[in-house]
Amino acid sequence: MSNIFKVLPLLLCAILSAQNQNSTYKKRVLETGELETLFSYYSQDGPNAAVTGGEGTEELTDATSTLVLRMPLNDDDVLTIDAGFSAYTSASSSNLNPFDGNGPADAFDASTGASRSDLLAYFSPAYSHSSDDRNQIWSANAYVSAEYDYFSLGFGGSYSRLFNEKNTELTLAAQVYLDSWNSQYPIELRGGFTGSAPGYNPNFTPFENEGRNSYSLSLGFSQILSKRLQASMVLDLVVQEGLLSTPFQRVYFGDIPDFFLENFQLADDIERLPESRLKIPLGLRLNYFLNEFAVLRTYYRFYYDDWGIRSHTAHLEIPLKLSDKFTLYPNYRFYSQTSADYFFEKEQALSTFDFYTSDFDLSEYTANQYGIGIRYKDIFTATRFLVFGLKTIDLRFSYYDRSTQLDATIITIGTSFVID
Amino acid sequence: MNKLFFLVTILFMTSSCVAVKEYDKVYLNDEEMVLSFKSSERFETNFQVYREGASGANGGKSGGGCGCN
Repeated sequence: MSNIFKVLPLLLCAILSAQNQNSTYKKRVLETGELETLFSYYSQDGPNAAVTGGEGTEELTDATSTLVLRMPLNDDDVLTIDAGFSAYTSASSSNLNPFDGNGPADAFDASTGASRSDLLAYFSPAYSHSSDDRNQIWSANAYVSAEYDYFSLGFGGSYSRLFNEKNTELTLAAQVYLDSWNSQYPIELRGGFTGSAPGYNPNFTPFENEGRNSYSLSLGFSQILSKRLQASMVLDLVVQEGLLSTPFQRVYFGDIPDFFLENFQLADDIERLPESRLKIPLGLRLNYFLNEFAVLRTYYRFYYDDWGIRSHTAHLEIPLKLSDKFTLYPNYRFYSQTSADYFFEKEQALSTFDFYTSDFDLSEYTANQYGIGIRYKDIFTATRFLVFGLKTIDLRFSYYDRSTQLDATIITIGTSFVID
Repeated sequence: MNKLFFLVTILFMTSSCVAVKEYDKVYLNDEEMVLSFKSSERFETNFQVYREGASGANGGKSGGGCGCN
């Protein structure tokens, strides 16, 4: 009997040892928690505000702040929480009501009304699970955001399969957004408008349906082409339905007399766009490792939709590794698009048309974007803030110049930390 | 466009038999070689979705979630 007590522990050890030898080593998908903070400041100006029918100031500033937390739940599962807010001030949207009493109303001047600023807040959790061999990844996500005149609820999922010794990856993803407007119309089209312009009596009908649903299906394919070259292709299929017009964007017709109050032209109507849209973008990416100093990152996208827009996007970035801590990111982006079938400059549309807009975002134009960024990388995460070890600091600046005279600048500051 | 799509498809198909071993992926695993935009670029993608007629196929929103596009 006493021999049994001597042999049993040895036997158990042998069994456990054998089990350990049979199990393959499984690297954690995410070794430790990570926290990322992002802040951006965006500023734009131009002379073609959609709120004032294609003529007027487009001055706008936006400050956005975001936190992204990634937590490993176990060896295979990762939970990501993405939350933030965006605060903007817009001269053009302030002109929903240009009659603020501070001087004569004018499309090229900002009003001080309540619609001058707004806040968007959003929250988006995501969960991913990887198979033991790391050749399959499932993920699910949700999204909710709110601003004064728009609410969005979204959810989606994706499945990725790697094969050919992880040289090839296929991804299928689907996403649904169920959005709704709280329509804000130009002040002169609202009931009870007290301003007077003799003869002004627009034939205005508010939208009945304020919902906007978006359904997207995405197919991704990536392939390693050599030890230094890899490429990917993404094909999206997006269907939108519901209120796709923006309720506060004025339209002035060519066959209706003009009416002014102070220096401001009163709306003939708001933009009217079809209640469905099909979009098919195809994106291609090709990255080449030139040498220890430089990497070539290229991107091209062709876009098609059934509103008549065809566009080409080309983006080139060449990360330059100045040292093991600093990387420089010069980049350039070119964009061109044809006009939507429903775009008309001010007073070019007729009141007999079914659909019309004077939003220059839907006009024909080209745009150039020039950017530079720098990244500081703390390899050993030596800089500590409580339980956070600094991993990277990113600073990016871009200048955007559009052929419609709109130009914009954006600056982004990002930091990432590992959590002990 | 059809020709471009055809060429890219052929390129991927003919190269799919290439299998770079894990120990040969040191360049491919470089953080600058990732086949997506970096997180610090997300706000640039956001404003492009607002300001341009096109969207999607780049990791950003392709419609919905904001009053844009």
